[in-house]
Amino acid sequence: MRYLLGRLGFYLLAGWAALTLNFFLPRLMPGDPATALFARFRGRLGPEAVQALREAFGLTDAPLWSQYLTSLGHVARGDLGISVAYFPAPVSQVIGNGLPWTLFLAGTAVVVSFTLGTLLGVAAAWWRGGWVDTLLPPILAFLGAFPYFWLAMVMLYVLGFQWGLFPLGHAYGDDLTPGWSLAFLADVWRHAALPMGSIVLATVGGWMLGMRNTMISVLGSDYVALARAKGLAPSRVVLRYAARNALLPSVTGFGMAIGFVLGGSLLTEIVFSYPGQGYLLVQAVRNQDYPLMQGIFLVITLAVLAANWLVDLVHVWLDPRTREVAP
Amino acid sequence: MSAAAPRAGGVAAWWEAVRRDRKASLGAGLLAFFLLLGLVGPWLAGPADALVGVPLQPPSAAHWLGTTGQGQDVLAQAVAGTRVSLLIGFGVGAAVVLVGALMGVTAGYFGGRVDGLLSLVFNVFLVLPGLPLAIVIAAYLPAGPATVALVLVITGWAWNARVLRAQTLMLRQRDFIAAAVVSGESHLRIITRELLPNMTSLLVAQLIGSTVHAIGAQVGLEFLGLGDVSAVTWGTNLYWATNDSALLTGAWWTFVPTGLCVALVGFALAMLNSAFDELGNPRLRLERAWRTWLLGHRHPPARSTPVVVTRD
Amino acid sequence: MLAGLVASAACVRERPPAPPGVLTVSQEQEASWVRNFNPLSSAAVPRWPTWSGIYEPLYVFSAVRGELIPWLATATEWRDGHRRLRISTRAGVRWSDGQPFGARDVAFTFELLRRFPALDRRGVWGYLTGVELVDAGTVDLTFARVFLPGLEDVVAQLIVPEHAWRGVADPVGFANETPVATGPFTEVRVFRHQVFELGRNPHYWQPGLPKVEALRFPAYPSNERANLALVFGEADWAANFVPAIDRVFVARSPKHHAYWFPLTGSTIFLYANTGRPPFDDPRVRKALSLAIDRDLLVEVALYRYSRPADATGLSDAYAGWRDPVAAGADWTRHDVARASALLDEAGHRRGPDGLRRLPDGRPWRYEIMAVSGWSDWVRAAQVIARGLRELGVDATVRTYDYGAWAQRAGEGRFDLSLGWSFEGPTPYTFYRWLMSRATVKPEGTASLSNWHRYASPEADRLLEAFEREPDPAGQRRLATALQRVFAAEAPAIPLYPNPSWAEYNTSRFQGFPTAARPYADPSPNKFDRGETLLVLTALEPRPR
Repeated sequence: MRYLLGRLGFYLLAGWAALTLNFFLPRLMPGDPATALFARFRGRLGPEAVQALREAFGLTDAPLWSQYLTSLGHVARGDLGISVAYFPAPVSQVIGNGLPWTLFLAGTAVVVSFTLGTLLGVAAAWWRGGWVDTLLPPILAFLGAFPYFWLAMVMLYVLGFQWGLFPLGHAYGDDLTPGWSLAFLADVWRHAALPMGSIVLATVGGWMLGMRNTMISVLGSDYVALARAKGLAPSRVVLRYAARNALLPSVTGFGMAIGFVLGGSLLTEIVFSYPGQGYLLVQAVRNQDYPLMQGIFLVITLAVLAANWLVDLVHVWLDPRTREVAP
Repeated sequence: MSAAAPRAGGVAAWWEAVRRDRKASLGAGLLAFFLLLGLVGPWLAGPADALVGVPLQPPSAAHWLGTTGQGQDVLAQAVAGTRVSLLIGFGVGAAVVLVGALMGVTAGYFGGRVDGLLSLVFNVFLVLPGLPLAIVIAAYLPAGPATVALVLVITGWAWNARVLRAQTLMLRQRDFIAAAVVSGESHLRIITRELLPNMTSLLVAQLIGSTVHAIGAQVGLEFLGLGDVSAVTWGTNLYWATNDSALLTGAWWTFVPTGLCVALVGFALAMLNSAFDELGNPRLRLERAWRTWLLGHRHPPARSTPVVVTRD
Repeated sequence: MLAGLVASAACVRERPPAPPGVLTVSQEQEASWVRNFNPLSSAAVPRWPTWSGIYEPLYVFSAVRGELIPWLATATEWRDGHRRLRISTRAGVRWSDGQPFGARDVAFTFELLRRFPALDRRGVWGYLTGVELVDAGTVDLTFARVFLPGLEDVVAQLIVPEHAWRGVADPVGFANETPVATGPFTEVRVFRHQVFELGRNPHYWQPGLPKVEALRFPAYPSNERANLALVFGEADWAANFVPAIDRVFVARSPKHHAYWFPLTGSTIFLYANTGRPPFDDPRVRKALSLAIDRDLLVEVALYRYSRPADATGLSDAYAGWRDPVAAGADWTRHDVARASALLDEAGHRRGPDGLRRLPDGRPWRYEIMAVSGWSDWVRAAQVIARGLRELGVDATVRTYDYGAWAQRAGEGRFDLSLGWSFEGPTPYTFYRWLMSRATVKPEGTASLSNWHRYASPEADRLLEAFEREPDPAGQRRLATALQRVFAAEAPAIPLYPNPSWAEYNTSRFQGFPTAARPYADPSPNKFDRGETLLVLTALEPRPR
């Protein structure tokens, strides 16, 4: 428990760091949202209107520390400000539209990739020198070397565009009403298949290789040798003893990977016009929509932190030692 | 002096491993090819951003890989991109390892409060999602390769620091370090002469890993248009390919060559890394022992996994 | 499992079409929809077609036809020596909630604009002094001075219902999620982040219209994605840039896939900063223009969707105004030899390295500024750079993000830049933003246009006369004179008129404007003065 609480404290600290970074970054750099906004209207806006807008956006000249405190207070209340590009929609509303989809896509992809990769890793360690061990790693390493979004582009082009096997974008068909109906869920999966597939393809090799290598190290360790010597069946040795222990580094890596995959999935989303945060973030950047950009970064960070904490829970479950040791 | 021998031995052993290992020689060969391409290619392939013909022409004798949506030669672009992208990739990789080593070794070696503070910093950096952070920072800086490099260093060093700290902590317990400390050698000397040489293989592995990551992340950022889109790099090539509707016009030649370049370099580095990994961890190569053990269970009646038999 | 996946996916190829009568439109490119139907606020971009489909103006202006078409108003009349504009509103128009529309709503809307400058998109209160309700069908606008071009802006105003907007405390930040309007499509049937639908206005004032039952808008985040939707028959009507359109789009279904790109967009210019030498010299600007191979430019940059501009700079939106003499000026042809001679004659000699020199000895080394990602511009800039290099100018293309570009252009911090023109129903607005002293700001101060900082006293005189000229023949004479000033001075270097992008799929709907039947501009982008209303009310489902 102390361990988990300690980790929680750490994540809170990290969250605060992200918030602070978020606040000071834009203020240290040049640029002015009102100018960007002004520009976006291609001159349909007079100077009086621009001045009126500045006020509407609350671009005040208050001292930095008071702005900082105000912003912390707002975030604490879940108020992320007003989007410049989607004025007058609040940032939280703009983000809220796409967030579940990003979490769904990245979350499922990382879990699928992790599970598949780990199983393949165990299989590779089990059948050393078999085709899983010799053929798959170089192929997956090669695929993993492609940028996510490039694989996504090729898959979209071949499977979606040329062969017409998959929808070309979006999270579900435009004719369906979101709900828990079977048709809708099936449609969601079909739409997620390609984006998810490209992420899994690009990342599964890493999990597999990692698991395989740790497995082999673990299999060479004394306690496994002992188990072997005691005459336990290989399957029992490999799965109950070796795999469980070899999983630990992978689980630690899992926490790290969530952030990485979330980042990568932003790119994939753009290729598949998946309605998540990816395109929104890029658009926010292009429009110099600071509030939206910061909001997305903050929300993604918080999601990653939360996921990491969940991973810690799993870690504690897998490794009893952490239950006693303070952080 | 004590370190000179193992280091030389290390290099020789690696070279030997590269020469003998199929994977490693493949990786090294590919990498050498791309380095050479980056070095001399731009002179051979001609100017990359010149307008050479009608946009989106398929590969032909005049333009081996066709032309882009901007009417530029795809081959020349891929080659020119190689130079910039590898430069940034290796540059960022080295910088990331350097910063990581500085922070990680300092934390591990000095321990105590220094360790607590530094560990906290890099652990925080580690949990902040890298690409979104990179995008946000890059958004505020003037677009260009320097920005991309800086952003990637900022978001990339923490993992190395953490691994090197752990390694340092481990080495710190070893006798020869303790001996050096007792004999009154300076911290700097111990770190540079005793600690770092003993981590060479780890540092090389990190350099390779960081470079792969840097190339990928750089391509990703530039694909989003966050780089200087008028520069010619692999990332901007892909950016322009999508911008000029490569998929729609069926102009596969505008994005396949660059994607392959990125993947081949990444693959070459991964092969090298895995070869070095096996060198550093000989257990990974102990196939025979395991094979015989597992196979040995093929015939005894006590076998519980028929799968093994049918598949092996 | 894989087999099942493939089997279930195989039927995707022919996606179920939108229900009959539902027209799928692609105009905006967004990752996800944000609900906003505020037609007035200049701070927000409301969902298309808020400006030209949900809400309606008093008059629709069609650039293709070159005429004002009475819409919510039936007539205008100048009184008091052109200081008072009397507007008669159409009788029998109802708001979508059934309440009657009237002159009160018009008066209310203009009052709202006065109270909230951020709603006054066209800046009409810069010359208006008051608005008076005369009776239920008549409203008077009073002008501070005689300013006839103001009429076109005033009647383009979208009208909002008084009864629904009276209680809105902050109309600038008002999202107007459930619009009450007079347009053909007012009922939000579905609004989700990746698609929304607008149904027919039950009380639309044109009997039997619209024939289309509903409009559907899937969110396509990029041009690429929107193009895929178009090519696969998902979108029925679009305003996309489609490369190699005959091969990519039309050839897939020659019977139904069609496009028409009338050249009625704004003209794309190469702006030379006339506040900086050597660009203050008209001979230099003409020489630069002569060095540009516009034929190559429209081929490389625009797939030949446009044509080289002439020396009036006018697009086809002003076809009826064009003066053949001015258009015949030769400085928009491609003639490098003459360009060189012109520069030599002006005393801009080449240095030993072949580059021309400023009087202080600096070589002519200039960046051509373009916007990152706007590939047509970047390609155009590259063709220009190539031409200028032949002339002894070390020209390079430099791209900036849109925001940075707009800032630099607005503040005049550039030597050479690509840019667009400002359009109005007559050449008055166009030339005002190109040559009027009133639009010149000092370098460093942001300006809406006239980025090249050019003023011509002669043009000012003509523009002022135009503001007071009610007679069409007189207007034409002044417009001709303006064109000749432009052709003589070359304040900016016209490259090509922008096409108005419009693609359509006639397999499910018919009645789109075509070159053979040019009843309106075909592009969904022509919302600024209500022109898409003409199309929305003309489309009908194809009979089966």
